[in-house]
Amino acid sequence: MTQLTYSRVNRDLIKTMEPPKKNYYLTLAGLVVVVGTGLAAWLYQISVGLGVSGLNHPVGWAVYITNFVFWVGIAHSGTLISAILFLLRCKWRTSVYRAAEAMTVFALMTAGLFPLIHLGRPWLFYWLLPYPDRGLLWPNFRSPLMWDVFAVSTYLTVSVMFFITGLVPDVAAVRDKATGLRKKIYSLLAQGWQGTDNQWRHYSSAYLFLAAFATPLVISVHSVVSWDFAMSIVPGWHSTIFAPYFVAGAIHSGLAMVLTIMIPLRKLMKLEDYVTGKHLENLAKLIIVTGLIVGYSYIAEFFVAWYSQVPYEQAAFQYRAFGDYKVLFWFMVLFNTIAPLFFFAKKFRTSTFWLLAIAIMVNIGMWLERFVIIVGSLAHEFMPFTWGLYRIRLPEVLITIGGFGWFFLLFLIFVKILPVVSITEIKEEIRHEVEEGKP
Amino acid sequence: MGGIDRRDFLKVIGIGGATAVLAGCSSQKPENVIPYLVPPENPHLGLSLWYATTCRECPAGCGLLVRTQDGRALKVEGNPSHPVNQGRICARGQSSVQGLYNPDRIRQPLRRKGDGLFEPIDWVQAEKIVAERLAALLEKETSSRVACITPLLTGTLDRLFDAWLAGLGSKLRYSYEAFSYEPLRAANRLTFDQDAIPDYDLSQAQMILSFGCDFLETWVSPVSFSAQYARMRTFRNGTMGTFVHVGPRLSMTGANADEWIPAKPGADLYVALGMVREILAQGSSPLPAAEREMIARLAAPYDPKTVESRSEVPPATLKRLARQFAKARPGLALGGAVASSGRNATPTQVAINLVNYVTGNVGRTVHFGSSSSLGRLSTYQDMLGLVERMNRGEIEVLFLYQVNPLFTLPESAGFREAIKKVPMVVSLSSFPDETTAQAHVVLPDHSPLESWGDFSPRQGVHGLIQPVMKPLFDTKAAGDTLLSVARHVGGKLVQALPQESFYEALRGDWKKIYRASASAEDFETFWENALRAGGVWSEPKKRGVRLSSQIARVDFSEPSFDGDDPAALALTLYPSINHFDGRGANRPWLQEIPDPVIQAAWDNWVEIHPETAKKLGITSGDLVEVKSSHGRIELPVYLYEWIRRDTVAIPIGQGHEEFGRYAKGRGANPIRLLGPKAEGGSGGLPWLSVKVTMKNTGKRYLLTPVAGSNTQYGRPISLAVSLSDLLKEEHPESEAHPSMYAPHPHPKHRWGMTIDLNACTGCSSCVAACYAENNLGIVGKEEMMRGRETSWIRLERFMEGRSPENPDFRFSPMLCQHCDSAPCEPVCPVYATYHTTEGLNAQIYNRCVGTRYCANNCPYKVRRFNWFTYQWPEPLNLQLNPDVTVREKGVMEKCTFCVQRIRRVEIKAQVEGRAVRDGEIQPACAQACPTEAIVFGDLNDAGSDVSKRARDPRRYRALEEINTHPAITYLKRIRVDSEEG
Repeated sequence: MTQLTYSRVNRDLIKTMEPPKKNYYLTLAGLVVVVGTGLAAWLYQISVGLGVSGLNHPVGWAVYITNFVFWVGIAHSGTLISAILFLLRCKWRTSVYRAAEAMTVFALMTAGLFPLIHLGRPWLFYWLLPYPDRGLLWPNFRSPLMWDVFAVSTYLTVSVMFFITGLVPDVAAVRDKATGLRKKIYSLLAQGWQGTDNQWRHYSSAYLFLAAFATPLVISVHSVVSWDFAMSIVPGWHSTIFAPYFVAGAIHSGLAMVLTIMIPLRKLMKLEDYVTGKHLENLAKLIIVTGLIVGYSYIAEFFVAWYSQVPYEQAAFQYRAFGDYKVLFWFMVLFNTIAPLFFFAKKFRTSTFWLLAIAIMVNIGMWLERFVIIVGSLAHEFMPFTWGLYRIRLPEVLITIGGFGWFFLLFLIFVKILPVVSITEIKEEIRHEVEEGKP
Repeated sequence: MGGIDRRDFLKVIGIGGATAVLAGCSSQKPENVIPYLVPPENPHLGLSLWYATTCRECPAGCGLLVRTQDGRALKVEGNPSHPVNQGRICARGQSSVQGLYNPDRIRQPLRRKGDGLFEPIDWVQAEKIVAERLAALLEKETSSRVACITPLLTGTLDRLFDAWLAGLGSKLRYSYEAFSYEPLRAANRLTFDQDAIPDYDLSQAQMILSFGCDFLETWVSPVSFSAQYARMRTFRNGTMGTFVHVGPRLSMTGANADEWIPAKPGADLYVALGMVREILAQGSSPLPAAEREMIARLAAPYDPKTVESRSEVPPATLKRLARQFAKARPGLALGGAVASSGRNATPTQVAINLVNYVTGNVGRTVHFGSSSSLGRLSTYQDMLGLVERMNRGEIEVLFLYQVNPLFTLPESAGFREAIKKVPMVVSLSSFPDETTAQAHVVLPDHSPLESWGDFSPRQGVHGLIQPVMKPLFDTKAAGDTLLSVARHVGGKLVQALPQESFYEALRGDWKKIYRASASAEDFETFWENALRAGGVWSEPKKRGVRLSSQIARVDFSEPSFDGDDPAALALTLYPSINHFDGRGANRPWLQEIPDPVIQAAWDNWVEIHPETAKKLGITSGDLVEVKSSHGRIELPVYLYEWIRRDTVAIPIGQGHEEFGRYAKGRGANPIRLLGPKAEGGSGGLPWLSVKVTMKNTGKRYLLTPVAGSNTQYGRPISLAVSLSDLLKEEHPESEAHPSMYAPHPHPKHRWGMTIDLNACTGCSSCVAACYAENNLGIVGKEEMMRGRETSWIRLERFMEGRSPENPDFRFSPMLCQHCDSAPCEPVCPVYATYHTTEGLNAQIYNRCVGTRYCANNCPYKVRRFNWFTYQWPEPLNLQLNPDVTVREKGVMEKCTFCVQRIRRVEIKAQVEGRAVRDGEIQPACAQACPTEAIVFGDLNDAGSDVSKRARDPRRYRALEEINTHPAITYLKRIRVDSEEG
């Protein structure tokens, strides 16, 4: 970053927000179509009934819950990078944290849709909220689904606050250059930011506080999500390892998603000087760690099932590895635990191609992991007479793709209206480097 | 105790329904329909009226109680005071309401137009068309060329048909049932000089030896036999009756047996004769010497070696069987059912008769004198005679009444071609079946639930049929149609039938019964009492029989098969427990409820041994061509281990070309594969008389995957205990698992259930009862392929046996266990499911948002989700139980222990200021169960039947180790250790 100056940073980063070109609009239109198709499929499902999905007896949860857990997982790395790495003073997070935070918010906005989509009567979703009603009927706080409602909504609130707070100085910079309606909106978001010392002092402590506040959520939210499964008695779900296992998995997938997004983004937006190979390499190193934890969890699950001598558990895991969904299972193992090991070699973690390829593999692998755990366990429970099979059907495919479309649509809009890399923090970085006398 | 005792009626009877019923046949004078008990003064909306009537779904003639409310028939239950079924009822009987409300019923008279399509006409027009033809025939004096085919009828309608034909000068009356058991009659003629089908008493037997006899499914009187069978199998005084099944395939009945003797198809008679020889040789026959010698001479050639060579039953097995059977006092050998009736059916049945006779069972478990009305049927040979007459153009008018010979006769018998030569075919049937499709005029009958009538299934039982509701459509009772046509014709015919109405004729006939009964009451009282009770019954005089001298003439011939080449496989057909001879195929419940053994629905299939299939290059789900020398059909394959390697089996009942939306175009009709020739001895249709070849078509056709597994992998779900283990004294209480939570308080009642797996035969009547009571949706084949059937109670079937000595089939009804520590309850985020103070696991449909978490977390997998808002095509919706919510899409549902029935009784008890009596509440499944395997009651009351049973040494709970504390206790099936007997 030697050639970077404050003015160049301003110029480069605000340039990303210049009026987009034709290709941007084409992509946007494409995503709108994808989201629209998913929405149409959902409306069809609401009007006809959940029967249009492949869900059945005994597999009551499948792709929708897979998507939910997947997107909540994706959401985790944003906070990890912005909050935990902030607290740990990992400087390299600066250039990627804004995108990662946005990813968190958008992933949660996607994840939150799926519990609604999977409801039998989605129009009554508000019954899950603890509001006082005439019947004095409260939700059941013993239900892990209830915990989910709180965990995810808390997480979304905190993430949004954290995101908006981090944006304040940058938005103020944008505001100063904007005109018309844009100026009004950015003014609102900038919350009257003038850059005074006093403001900086408050800003810094607020940011630190939010970072500290968000950190336990990284652990707790996905733990709660994992308890949806672990608190049940379904063989293959009912396991104490689930919370750490799911948190590690969530970060694993989140980091991979950051890579998946940042690599094309820095190219398209010409941000190679800001998001450098070093940043990507560091992310890759983290993926090795999470990949190893996930791999360990897989082994531990099987070990416990074997060691417990509980026939139902043993049958569930035998089924997972060698049953109807064995292909998915082995792809999951390959993608989540074997593929990241290649990052041990410098060649792989410095090659943009391999970084992207393995990141996508991990994304697929983590989606498969949730699918295999959810469907593979439900299909093969206590009663052999009711063992069954789940096959995905078109509305579910469209809604799942629509979910991805929704996420990328939000992201695409984001990159054009807000600075994808924090201007302020990059400038701070430059100052630190100058002060520390680095070349 | 039956399901509905008299006290129930006191509560539920209102005279509201009378308005509907009295309005009945509007063209006639008002008739008095008397409910089961005298109604209270004031009618109440929402209260049910129950009417006693007689089931006409098969010739067994069980007594029914029909629940009606607001003028609609809602549900059919067994009549507790009826001697045949004693309050119990099978799935087919329960489906009679779906016959009544069938959307494909013929709703008004029809006439065939020039283009072959039917057009609706009015009754006067329709009757005139028929009457004009008859009048013309009378004119030409060719009215003797009028023929009638009816099912088995007795009583007034039977007499009316005869009188009506007599008025025309015709004798061509055919009482036709597809399963008419001619060999039984013929064999009884030869053995005992009795042209009759006797009454059997299974309950007294200590050993039942069934030669392919499906007495728990469709044979003669299955509900009655099931109840008797359960009594025979009851474990008491350290023992219970044993049951051995001989035949090429294990049917549902056979699956209940302690041992399977897979004799070669058609070789049953050698096993029977070999046994006779052994029993006589062992000197254990109580017969006088002369008879013994006569029989010994007959059986002499059938030494164990010969028997083995002909039947493949090893000598040791034969000797053991003979010893066991002779030791059983009494035993009972049964035969003559469809599955094992071949070209030698009559000699086979003679041999079985001899087995019973030499062991002294005739008179103890086989009773003549109270013979079945089935003995009055026309034979298959008679039907062939009719076909010939039709072919020769000797039939001018053919009347069809509720029969479908086009479907049930072999194609090769030529009925299809013959009926086309009849100038006028008149159908009085209710459904557009294959034969009715050939009619020129259709004069549709009422449903039996809308009609007057009577039916006597056996001597001494006179069942009354009364309308339980106003006819739905513009139909007319067949008896009234006959009278009305006669009036149109006039002359001789109307003189033969002077009655105003069928109702008048019925009452006229019942005056004779009244006089014969020597009742002290006046006739009106007698009639009312008979209506309330469902009929009158008397203990018939039992008749002793002796061996006939004709027996010496019996030729114990080898079975013969058409298409007997070495590669061909013997074809055994069996009546489907759900569809009988095909008449059940248009009932959505009967299509949706899986076959108990094969566990597939909405189809039929060909069963083949896996090894044979492998040799033929066929796998499960292949569509194969089954070809005999008489026809070919295509069916999907089911690999069945409990069939001989040289035999294939196909259920009868599917393969309809007509017969409405539920039946049409499903599966294939295997009767097409049979040859036309009748069995010499009896004139019956030889069902087991062709060999078939199988060819893979290369196409695939998947059956509904109801059974996720055929074994339970040793999991504690459906357990059995051997008799010897049971006799050991210690039966330790299973270890109580510690729980973190205190049990729920149940201050007043704790409803619970016991299910005796030793009594459960797998018949699935409970499943039908649940569909009927609880408005369960019908999802159809496509959705069943996705595992979305809605059954709250299912019959889990496991095949745990590995050898014929111990088939060890397990049938266990699985429904919500109403756990005290229910895994479904804590996971529901909106409290849509909770534990009530009476111990029910309640589901609140209104509150459910449909997360399906409860279903995932239910270890028993008994919760069902409404994937769609299920529809009932009109008028099937009229059957819906108003006491039970009809659920909408997106809602979870499950067994409620019939909470609506619990409440009714509780409210009644409260009104009467007393406690609920034990046995007073019966969920629909418990009420229907023919073997009383399901018992419901209060577990808080230590003296209740259910509490006593729950302390039985055979008790266990399904998946006990996961600590759900179910309210349902299962009692283990008892396995009889082989050899001991």
